[in-house]
Amino acid sequence: MNEILSIQNLSKNYGRIKAVDDLSFTVERGTVYGILGPNGSGKTTTLSVITGVLHPAKGSYRWFGNKPGKRERKRIGSLVETPNFYPYLTLFQNLQIAARIKNVQEEDINRVLGVTDLLRRKHSKYDTLSLGMKQRLSFASVLLGDPEVLVLDEPANGLDPEGIAEVRRVIMSERDKGKTIIIASHILDEVEKVCTHVGILKMGKLITSGLVDKLLVMDRVLTLSAPDNTKLKEILEKSGLVKNIKEDVDCITATILSETEPGEINKYVIEKGITLTRLEVNKPTLESQFLELVREQN
Amino acid sequence: MTLHFILFLMVIIVASKIDIAVPGFSMRNLFRFPDVWATFAWIASWFNILLAIMVIVLVGNEFSFRTFRQQVINGLSINDLVIGKGIIIFFIALYSLLLVFVLGSVFGIIFSHNFELADLFSKSYLLAVYFIQAAGYMIIGMLFAIIFRNNSLSIIMFLLYFIFIEPIIRRFFSPEVRQFFPVKIISHLTPPPEVLAIASEKTMENSVGTTNFDFESIGLIPHQLPLSVTLLLAIGFIALFVFLIFQIMRKRDL
Repeated sequence: MNEILSIQNLSKNYGRIKAVDDLSFTVERGTVYGILGPNGSGKTTTLSVITGVLHPAKGSYRWFGNKPGKRERKRIGSLVETPNFYPYLTLFQNLQIAARIKNVQEEDINRVLGVTDLLRRKHSKYDTLSLGMKQRLSFASVLLGDPEVLVLDEPANGLDPEGIAEVRRVIMSERDKGKTIIIASHILDEVEKVCTHVGILKMGKLITSGLVDKLLVMDRVLTLSAPDNTKLKEILEKSGLVKNIKEDVDCITATILSETEPGEINKYVIEKGITLTRLEVNKPTLESQFLELVREQN
Repeated sequence: MTLHFILFLMVIIVASKIDIAVPGFSMRNLFRFPDVWATFAWIASWFNILLAIMVIVLVGNEFSFRTFRQQVINGLSINDLVIGKGIIIFFIALYSLLLVFVLGSVFGIIFSHNFELADLFSKSYLLAVYFIQAAGYMIIGMLFAIIFRNNSLSIIMFLLYFIFIEPIIRRFFSPEVRQFFPVKIISHLTPPPEVLAIASEKTMENSVGTTNFDFESIGLIPHQLPLSVTLLLAIGFIALFVFLIFQIMRKRDL
């Protein structure tokens, strides 16, 4: 049984707005599936449906090949949207409730609080936590009972850089343990770093899906300038190291071929007698990547 | 809960001190066995709204903290959520029942000079009636909380319904139909103690005529269905509300 989650023709609308529109995909055991999309593309709605809080308008989904029910949900650790806890209870009491629902031993609470670096605040009330700590507590709740499947909705939301790195490290170690992980995110970088598969959503529709390595080959974009930009452009065009060369107001942008290092370009233009005043390497934004993917689809 | 306890205790202590000087009638009779059960159930019923508001807050918080949602995500079913709240309502009603029973016994023992065991239990079924009434108020409260999903709105609508909306709707119907409305039925489970019945026998002999006086016909006591019918209807309404709660919870998204 290698199929963990399969979604068939799922639709969900809020009034007249179609949040999810005829969505189908399958997640295999041991993969890390990233659902990528801009705000309002239906990521959270999809996750809310598969975690049982929203009723699908059309279509169906299966967990572990079964009709979904509470037994299936207990095997999944989910973080959907915002952290939801009782503000007047302590972290420990909040996790106790979750542990009882999932039939998990209470000893596990200390472990997950340790992993998310919240042990010190174990007996603080939930509403005394900062936003980042609340997010980490949700993450602790997800890890409770060491579930075989993790469903994470924007796990890095509201975290400081250290927290983001920490969450990413935990996700990767869960992945290395062979867990199946489903992550929704609008941060391309996040998906690129941890996911094996990706599905791209736009307006509730799955635009494309597949292996991250194949779909998100990221061409880096260079921004260059020199005292004489026109000459620089000519030289670059002849070099064969870059493509899509465009002249801007005070700089030149070009897409660097994946096998080339930016240093090589610098070396090349110096040999041709031009000193660069500026050389920047940028990753394309999600937006431009999207536009490209959508264009490819058409 | 504590507030409920303190208010209830204060009211009965104050009430027990009042002794209206009506010739041949003593308030103290209200606190003797077996009438103490009717009196206390009646007084306790004033605070049912408080219990209902407590339930509205308990259920409403689950929506505003989104913890209902989280618990479904963690692996509870909608039925589990509703049954969980049902159990809480049961225990709150049980607590009120015990409160009325304990305080009723204490006051009954203090005020009754000599009583027999049969006196003690003869009207104690009113406690069970009170239990159903308290549960009924709380279930209506839960229904409001589930419909409006917002504490203040649910409390306001709940109070408006009890005080204005249903009485106004009732006006449009004939008096025979009026008595079948849910709030009317449930709030009439514990009627105020009948003044005549509790007057001492000695007084009744002295003031001949009042015993046969038809208070109902002159409108002093409104016409009421017999308690058994009211009780059955109340249970029917409660069952209907419980059914509605399950239906709404199942149909709606969390």
